[in-house]
Amino acid sequence: MSTAPLQRVTMSGVSFGGIIRSEWIKLRSLRSTVWCYAIIVVLTLGVGALIAFAMASGATGGAGITGDAATTMAVQTATFPISMTQLVAAVLGALVITGEYGTGMIRSTLTAVPKRLPALVGKALVFALTTFLVSAVAIAVTGAMTLAMLSGAGIGVEITAGYLLALVGGAGYLALVGLLSFAIGAIIRSSAGGIAASLGLILVVPNVLPLLAFLTKADWIGEAAKYLPSNAGAQMYALAGSGAVDMFTGATVLEPAIGLLVLVGWVVALLALAAVLLKRRDA
Amino acid sequence: MIEAHGLTKRYGSKNAVDDVSFTVRPGLVTGFLGPNGAGKSTTMRLIVGLDRPTSGSVTVNGQAYAAHRAPLREVGALLDAKAVHTGRSAYNHLLAIGATHSIGRSRVDEVIALTGLESVARKRVGGFSLGMGQRLGIAVALLGDPATLILDEPVNGLDPEGVIWVRQLARHLAAEGRTIFLSSHLMNEMAQTADHIIVLGRGRVIADAPVQAILAQATGTAVTVRSPDAARLAELLTASDPLSTVTVDPADPHLLIVAGLASPRIGELAAGAGVVLHELAPTAASLEDAYLALTQNEVEYVAGGEATR
Repeated sequence: MSTAPLQRVTMSGVSFGGIIRSEWIKLRSLRSTVWCYAIIVVLTLGVGALIAFAMASGATGGAGITGDAATTMAVQTATFPISMTQLVAAVLGALVITGEYGTGMIRSTLTAVPKRLPALVGKALVFALTTFLVSAVAIAVTGAMTLAMLSGAGIGVEITAGYLLALVGGAGYLALVGLLSFAIGAIIRSSAGGIAASLGLILVVPNVLPLLAFLTKADWIGEAAKYLPSNAGAQMYALAGSGAVDMFTGATVLEPAIGLLVLVGWVVALLALAAVLLKRRDA
Repeated sequence: MIEAHGLTKRYGSKNAVDDVSFTVRPGLVTGFLGPNGAGKSTTMRLIVGLDRPTSGSVTVNGQAYAAHRAPLREVGALLDAKAVHTGRSAYNHLLAIGATHSIGRSRVDEVIALTGLESVARKRVGGFSLGMGQRLGIAVALLGDPATLILDEPVNGLDPEGVIWVRQLARHLAAEGRTIFLSSHLMNEMAQTADHIIVLGRGRVIADAPVQAILAQATGTAVTVRSPDAARLAELLTASDPLSTVTVDPADPHLLIVAGLASPRIGELAAGAGVVLHELAPTAASLEDAYLALTQNEVEYVAGGEATR
C-alpha cells in the first residue's frame, strides 16, 4: 500500500490482436475450460477405443473386410464419440459467454472494449479455434489408435482422402456446434438458459421432429429435420458419398459440403443476432 | 474532464437519471453524493457506455468514451467490484483486461503492488473479501494510468487503513492534474476527500458547488430545543416564521430540531409565550447535516419520523 507516483505506462490503443490475447488469457485461466477440454479428449479416446474393440472382436474370424466398407467402419469408429463430445463442446460454448454475464465480468470486458463487437468476435474466434485444435488432436490420435486395432483384427483400412476429410470434419463440427451454443448463450445471457436452449436445439429437436413427421404423415417435417444443426453437421464427419442414406433411420441425408454450409448458416445467423443485441442492450 | 449534457436514462416508466448536466474538472476530487437509488451508479455507467442514455450525452476528455482509441488510458473505472469472473485469479483478470490495450505484465505487477494485493494475486477472486475485491477493482481502474478516474463507492468494505489509502490516492492523483470522480452516500467521507461536490437526488442534480459553499449554505441552521411543552412551542415557532422547519425527535416528543430560526429568537418566542425551556443549543452544522437538508425531500424511501411544517 503506497501512493508512489504512477509511471507512464507503455500501451497502445485497443487492437484486435490485443483482444485475441485477452480472450486467450480468459479462456485458459478458468478451470471449467480445462475440465471441458479434458473431458472431450478423454471421451474421444476412451469411447473410440471401446467401439474399435467391439468392432474388432465382432470381425474376428470373419476377416477380409476391405475397401469402402472397411473405410466406412474406420470413420464411424473414430467419429462415434462426437455424439457425446458435442454436448461438452456446446456446454463450454455457452459457458464461455454466459459465465461473463453471470459473474459481472462482461462489464469489465465491455469497459475495456467499448465498441463491443470486436470483443464478441475475438471471444468467438479464440473459443472456436481452441475447440477445433483440441478436437482435431483428440480425433487424430483416436483415428490412429482405432486403425491399429481394426487392422489387428484383419480389417484392412485404406487411409483415403475421404477418411482424413471426415476426421477433420469431425473437429470442425465440434467447433461449429460450440459456436452455435456460444451465440445462443450470448443471446440468452444466462448459463442455465443458454445451455438448455443449445442442448434442446442440438439434441431434443432432432429426436422430436421424426416422431412428429411419423405421427402427422407430413413429409416436409422429416425433410426439414435434415437442416437442423446437428443433422446437417453430422454429414461433415460422414464419409463423402457413403451416405445419401442415414444408417439408422434410412432417411436421405445431405452431402457433407451442404451439411457444412447449413451448419455455418445457423452459426452466422445466430451470431449476427447476438451481435445486434450486444450493440443494443445495456450491459 | 467529464461533461454531461441533459443526460437522461429511463428504465420502464421511471427516470433513473433525469436531465442531468454537470462538468467534472481535472485537478480536483469531485464527490458525487446522493442517497441510495438517486442515480449515481447509473450516471457512471452512462459515462463509460455500459448503459445507453435515453437522451442527452456525456463526453470524457472531449469525446464519447467508446470513441477513444485507448479507452483505458482516458478513463479508469471502478463501477462494481463484482465485475470479475469469480473463477479467475486477480493476476489473470488484470492481465486479460490489460491485454486488450497491450498493457503488459510489468504494469499488472505494478498495480498489484500499488493496491497491496501481492499476497492474494494468484488466488481465485471468488474467495476474496469485500475489501480485497474493492482493491482489485481499484487496481483495474489504475491499469491504464488513466487521465480520469471514476470510482463508485470506492471505500465500501475497506478497513480504516484502506479508507485512508483511497483518500490519499484520490488526492494524490488529483494533484497530478487528473480528473477524479468519486461517488458515495456518506457525506463525511466526501468532506475529507472532495474539493467539489455534486449532489444527486431522485435522478436530478440538486447541488453542484465547492465543498465550502455547501457547508456555508447550511451553517447555523439547526437548533436543538427541549421543552416539556414541545407541541405548543412547535406551533408557536412555525407560526412565527413560515420558512422555519420544526422536527419532533421521533424518540423523544419533548425534543425539537429547529431549522431556519436562530437560538436567541427561539428563546425570545418561548419567553414571550411563557413556555419553559430545558435546553436550547445551536448545533454546529456538519457537511452531513447540509447533505441531509439538501436531500430530505429527494430520498426515494423515507424511514420513520414525523415532521411538522
